[in-house]
Amino acid sequence: MSLLELRDVTRTVIPPDQPALTILNGVDLTVEAGDRISIVGRSGSGKSTLLNLLGLLDMPTSGLLTFDDRPVKSYSGAARDRVRGAQIGFVFQQFNLLPGRTALENVAMPLLYAEGRSFWRRKKLAADMLEEVGLGNRMHSMPDRLSGGEQQRVAIARSLVRGPRLILADEPTGALDLDTGSSVMQLIDDVATRTGAALVTITHDPAIAARARDHFRLDRGILTRADSDELAAASEALS
Amino acid sequence: MKRAFTSLVGAVVEAWQELRVHRTRVLLSLIGVAVAVCSLTTVVALGGIVQQANQELSERQSGRPASLFVSAFSNQGTAIDSATMDATWAETLARYDITYGSRVLQTAQAVPFTTGVVDVQTQAVDQPYGEMHRVRLTEGEWFTDDDAAGLAPALVVNQIFWERLGSPELRTHPTVELGAQGGRPGTTAVIVGVYPVSSYETEPAMFMLADQLSAMTAARPSVAVQDPYGGGGSTQYEMWVPPAISEQLMEVVKRDFTSALATPGGGTGGVQVDVYRQDYAQYGDDPFLVTKLVVGGIAVLVLLLGALGLVNIALVTVKQRVREIGIRRSFGATAGRVFFSVMMESVVATIAAGAVGVIASVLLVQNPWTMDLIGQGLVSDFPPFPAEAAVLGLVAATAVGALAGLLPALVAVRVKVIDAIRY
Ligand SMILES: Nc1ncnc2c1ncn2[C@@H]1O[C@H](COP(=O)(O)OP(=O)(O)O)[C@@H](O)[C@H]1O
Ligand SMILES: [Mg+2]
Repeated sequence: MSLLELRDVTRTVIPPDQPALTILNGVDLTVEAGDRISIVGRSGSGKSTLLNLLGLLDMPTSGLLTFDDRPVKSYSGAARDRVRGAQIGFVFQQFNLLPGRTALENVAMPLLYAEGRSFWRRKKLAADMLEEVGLGNRMHSMPDRLSGGEQQRVAIARSLVRGPRLILADEPTGALDLDTGSSVMQLIDDVATRTGAALVTITHDPAIAARARDHFRLDRGILTRADSDELAAASEALS
Repeated sequence: MKRAFTSLVGAVVEAWQELRVHRTRVLLSLIGVAVAVCSLTTVVALGGIVQQANQELSERQSGRPASLFVSAFSNQGTAIDSATMDATWAETLARYDITYGSRVLQTAQAVPFTTGVVDVQTQAVDQPYGEMHRVRLTEGEWFTDDDAAGLAPALVVNQIFWERLGSPELRTHPTVELGAQGGRPGTTAVIVGVYPVSSYETEPAMFMLADQLSAMTAARPSVAVQDPYGGGGSTQYEMWVPPAISEQLMEVVKRDFTSALATPGGGTGGVQVDVYRQDYAQYGDDPFLVTKLVVGGIAVLVLLLGALGLVNIALVTVKQRVREIGIRRSFGATAGRVFFSVMMESVVATIAAGAVGVIASVLLVQNPWTMDLIGQGLVSDFPPFPAEAAVLGLVAATAVGALAGLLPALVAVRVKVIDAIRY
């Protein structure tokens, strides 16, 4: 049983007054529980579009997308939203914290869409999560008072607070300097390992990609498995 | 069910946070709503109070619904002998088991005050009159059975009368000498009650019991100032009956009077009997309907203007929040939830503003200055702030919030998540 599966997935958009544009073409990908997957590709190659599909934010134009072996198409819109909220955590390049809300409120936000204990105890759960990413002392800070690295830690805490089975990180270190970036990646790795969540990281940084176990390359909408030696070499060359 | 509840609480929490973040802007837009709700509540409350006050005043003047008046004239236009009328009246009240009936005779009595003798306007009535006309007293009591049985006539005087006597304590049984003139002693009458006057009244006036007046007049014909206004001091006969049976009663009373007063063997005997209704409710329609409609219309208009401002601001805001909505959606907020949250923001805000408006309205309406203005010092038993006005204010605020939230909420649901979080 796989967590997420893409079979011959195509995503086409038709921009106004322009011919149809195929962003993803015949993509096959399987994500199992606890996987570590990296996807590298140049800007504009379709990485974010792929991630939107993995995150159930978008639907394939053709091909099969399943979550827990169930075709995503068979879910209602609201059911998809609920599955996403409960099972998937996002980490964005631009952090995407809600302005004007404290770190604690930001981390508690996903729990507003939960039920039962996790809903009612959201403050406590969020506080624990912030402790875990080392921000126990910044709980009541507003995002604009935090450094980039701290903001991304808050975002990581937020993506993990509901205990998702899949973490999707879209260029999580793209807006951070090298050192901060690697410590943030270390944090994501650690938490994912501890909770047994699968992690899909999108990046164009080979060093970040090298942290994963399975490596893919996306080139003009076509996904191919990358040679890990090749990646390692590229990583060596960079450092 | 459980989900619905957490969704509701969650949406309120989100809405509250949102309001907190944008408090200045929200506050500014809410001032309009608070003012509108305050004016709506105030006009409705004042409308209710003024209506009640008006009703009280008109009941005092022309009786409570349904008040029937009986008059009889011979065809020559002269009044029927008052003893016959009184007897027929008493019979009628007894026959139909009417508790509330009173004769009303307007006369004037000479009363010696320290400043000189004044002809005081006097209404001679029967005991039920007090209840029938909601006569309210500031001092003492309306005529009791003891007063009626007493030898000395009892008087219920107005505030001016009482003050001219130096506002004596009624417990001390203050008296006046009715008809005392130039050293000649009058009839000693006891003051048992004092009723308030409206601010525009300046003359002393009083009530006495009709039976005591006629006894007094019989004993000392010179005491009463007869015919003070040039008209025959004719008695009015008034009864207060359930409105439902008033029509029927008018017919039978007219029939009974006509036959009782008929000269023997002479058919109706040239006697014209009239039974008519005179209270404010006699026309069936609500006499305050127009006032209510005008006032309500203005209030609704004010509220709609407030709502318009709110919609405007909410629409601008929701466009700035497309990204935020996208982020919430990617963390599990359903489209329905986003709709509800945005709606909730508007509703939570307007309910808060509405509560402020209602409180302001209560303070505005329930202060002594306003009450004085409306009551003219006459409405002694001031009605409390009408609960329906407060409820209406809050309901209107909620409705305006929902209405103003609808458009931005529709915009919010249509946000495309992937576009919203794209950078
Ligand atoms: N809704 C859309 N309409 C038109 N073009 C789009 C749309 N979404 C993506 N694209 C285009 O598809 C390509 C891939 O986009 P994206 O997945 O964001 O790439 P990446 O994240 O790898 O930089 C880009 O050229 C982008 O401009
Ligand atoms: Mg991208």
